[in-house]
Amino acid sequence: MKLSDVILWIFTIAFFIFMILPIAVVVVISFTSAGYAAFPIPGWSMQWFARIFEYQPFIDSLWVSLKLAVVATVASCLLGIPAALYLSRSRSGWATAITTFLLSPLSMPMIVIGFASLFFLSWLGFGISFLALTIVHTVICLPYVIRTVTAVYRSMSPAYEEAAMILGASRFTTFREVTLPLIRPGIAAGCLFSFLTSFDNLPVSYFFGSAQTNTLPVVMLAYMEHQFDPSIAALSTLQLLLAVVALLIADRLYGIEKMTIAT
Amino acid sequence: MSDSVPMNAKLRQAMLLAPALIFLAVFFVMPLFDNSMRSFMSEDGGFTLSRYTSFLTDRFYLGVIVETVVLAAAVTVISVVIAYPVAYVLVRKAGRLSGVFIFLLIAPLLTSIIMRTFGWQVLFARRGLVNQWLVTDLGILDVPLRWLNTPGLAIAALVHVLVPFAVLSIASVLQGVDRRLEEGALMLGASKLRTFFEVTLPLTMDGIGTGAILVFMIANGSFVTLVLLGGGFQTLPLLIYQQFNTTRDFALASTMSTILLAIALVCLWLQLRLVRRQGA
Amino acid sequence: MNMKRRTFLGTGAVATGLLGLNGLPLHAQDRTLNVTAYGGVWEQAVRDCFVAPFEAKTGATATVSLGGPPQWLAQVEANPEKPPLDVLIMSPDLAVIAAEGGLMDDFTVDKIPNLANIPQEFTDACLGKGTYLNYGVGGITYNKQVVAEPPKSFAAFVDRVASGEFVASVPSISYAVTPVFFIWALNDALGGTPDNVDPFFEAMAKMKDNLVFWAGPNDFFNHLASGEADLGIYFDGRTWNHVDEGVDWIDFVNPEEGGAMTAVAIQKPKNASDLAWEYLNEALAPENQSKFAEILNYGVTNSEVVYSDKLASRVTPLSKANLPPYADIARLRNEWVDRWNREIGM
Repeated sequence: MKLSDVILWIFTIAFFIFMILPIAVVVVISFTSAGYAAFPIPGWSMQWFARIFEYQPFIDSLWVSLKLAVVATVASCLLGIPAALYLSRSRSGWATAITTFLLSPLSMPMIVIGFASLFFLSWLGFGISFLALTIVHTVICLPYVIRTVTAVYRSMSPAYEEAAMILGASRFTTFREVTLPLIRPGIAAGCLFSFLTSFDNLPVSYFFGSAQTNTLPVVMLAYMEHQFDPSIAALSTLQLLLAVVALLIADRLYGIEKMTIAT
Repeated sequence: MSDSVPMNAKLRQAMLLAPALIFLAVFFVMPLFDNSMRSFMSEDGGFTLSRYTSFLTDRFYLGVIVETVVLAAAVTVISVVIAYPVAYVLVRKAGRLSGVFIFLLIAPLLTSIIMRTFGWQVLFARRGLVNQWLVTDLGILDVPLRWLNTPGLAIAALVHVLVPFAVLSIASVLQGVDRRLEEGALMLGASKLRTFFEVTLPLTMDGIGTGAILVFMIANGSFVTLVLLGGGFQTLPLLIYQQFNTTRDFALASTMSTILLAIALVCLWLQLRLVRRQGA
Repeated sequence: MNMKRRTFLGTGAVATGLLGLNGLPLHAQDRTLNVTAYGGVWEQAVRDCFVAPFEAKTGATATVSLGGPPQWLAQVEANPEKPPLDVLIMSPDLAVIAAEGGLMDDFTVDKIPNLANIPQEFTDACLGKGTYLNYGVGGITYNKQVVAEPPKSFAAFVDRVASGEFVASVPSISYAVTPVFFIWALNDALGGTPDNVDPFFEAMAKMKDNLVFWAGPNDFFNHLASGEADLGIYFDGRTWNHVDEGVDWIDFVNPEEGGAMTAVAIQKPKNASDLAWEYLNEALAPENQSKFAEILNYGVTNSEVVYSDKLASRVTPLSKANLPPYADIARLRNEWVDRWNREIGM
């Protein structure tokens, strides 16, 4: 191995140690035998994983969160990908202005978006419903898809598409056979960001919480406020486990090399 | 695309944009506009700008605005600088390990923020693991260091959750870079370093731009990490959160959100112009 | 006020079109009651002690919404005609705001017979539109392994922290009830008045090198467990909950000056289902309340309740807790918070 590679690898490994250390603490605590969350742990046990399945709101809200993240991500793709395709090929100054506008939900503190939307959507008659929650989550997820797809598509040469058209491919065939495979890493990154943003969101979901629409982060917060036991750590470990399973399935379906960005 | 595209084709292309534009106009702009009216309404229901003038002429609040932008910018620069080499290894060197890389990158985002904070506290408390290691095991220090509630640890925790956005943004663009361009430069006698700076880096400018924009925008609006880990920062999102949580002064919260949004939009527009000029 | 803001918005064509797209919003239905609870043990206690007897008596069902008062109040404010919730659990200051805003119904003995055994001052503190359900006291919680002789009063706490004997974990200004159970309580103990909070800020300046701030109750426990702090300002009931979880190194002192009583209020939004009265009557019934107290380790408000021996030694009697002047605090709170931001930081 060359020296430059060695340095790169050392840097990368140090980086991942930094990323994983606080998480490792959480994973270890989820296996504690103690009745409270503290470190180091006195012994090992699986009791906190059992507790997750005993506590019905955890399971109900996990289901709401998964459904919500999937629906919001699909909606963001349907709205965002066409817009990104258009904006990345446009060179005019107003395209920059429109892109600025489409990305602006990112910078608003979510608590403001949640609060303002609660009043506005209630006024429109959506009330506190799964539909209202989906709309607001789509608002906060859309910018990720637009930005990542734009970035990838802009760095692609238009020559590929032009060649396909010259060879007689229809507009739709060109899109399906040439454009879509090219922008796949952008879509994948956007979907991943979107899914995680929705799944992890607290400040927006909080305002739309009810017995039927509470998401996992809202239930976790409510739970922890009055009972800080290691079941919350166990839930985090369970989420990590679900991510591993999802990545393994993606690997089986597409092969890991092609899915550098989890395509 | 080219200038010869007829008018109705241009219209058809604009239709691509319409759904996203209309959706955000209705479900993002209108609620915020509705909410911002709280900041323009005086006690008796008339129109007033007094909240803005008193906010923007108060030295304390001006300091808060500056601190908000400086903090977001610092987190952005650190994240992008760290992210680039990692993205490079992920795309070019990791091979079958890339799945593991992606898992490690998204792990922090899948761990509840409160548990993540708890992890930091266990590691960096006065009698935490790191101090124990430095004082007892290695004997480098006599007195435990104070980490919690320092600006450094708060920045580290922000970078920790935002750097994945930068890595994945850069990687998704780097993946599409045509390696023949780099090989060509090498064959023409350019050094590896020069090839990197003159070929690879400019080609991935869009990825860097995306990473920087996402990190900056999210950092600019985030408050939960700062609430939980302290660090002595005084930022607009923190003040806004306080209005919701402690004082219930929604008019002041709305004033600050309008100001924050204006700042973010100006910064975003500048960044996008920079990226477009560099990238195109 | 909302409608006034909306005149700015106009009745845009898009908005009008969308009014038809009703998303089947949740609102109170006839035989179902939507009640509220904090999470974890709290929710369990609400289900066992209030929901179960309510369902048994009325044959109706109750769903429990988990969350917190700011969220619930905002939801009711956004839907005053069709409140999505029928019974609210509130903090005392939000209860006053909700009552002043005309969003809540009056509590009377006609509608809630058990209200007769709740001290009148608690209903008065909610402006007659609600009452207190249970209460805790903010005082000094400490780690027994590090602090042999805990300070017995707020004044001693300030002196000993200022001298560097301990590192203390105190609530940050991001925590909603800090102005009441920390600013007001400490200031009052040190001889200040609501209009003069200098004693509080002077004490904070003296202690500043030996303070860490907690943003939520778990944060405080982590500070003590991880050794970041030795003692701090916390609640009695939560301390006992930790003891029951198996934490053997934690203990609580109610300061000699008397800690601030931090209560949980209960209210019924206007236009909410009338079944709520039945539920409220169960929530204030002595037998249900004593069960509730056993689970949560907090004192309850019905004067007929007799505590078990274990609980009697834990619950701070009402006579040793100070009822904060919520009306004064509501008037001055934002000034205090602003001063805190400028002098102490966030």
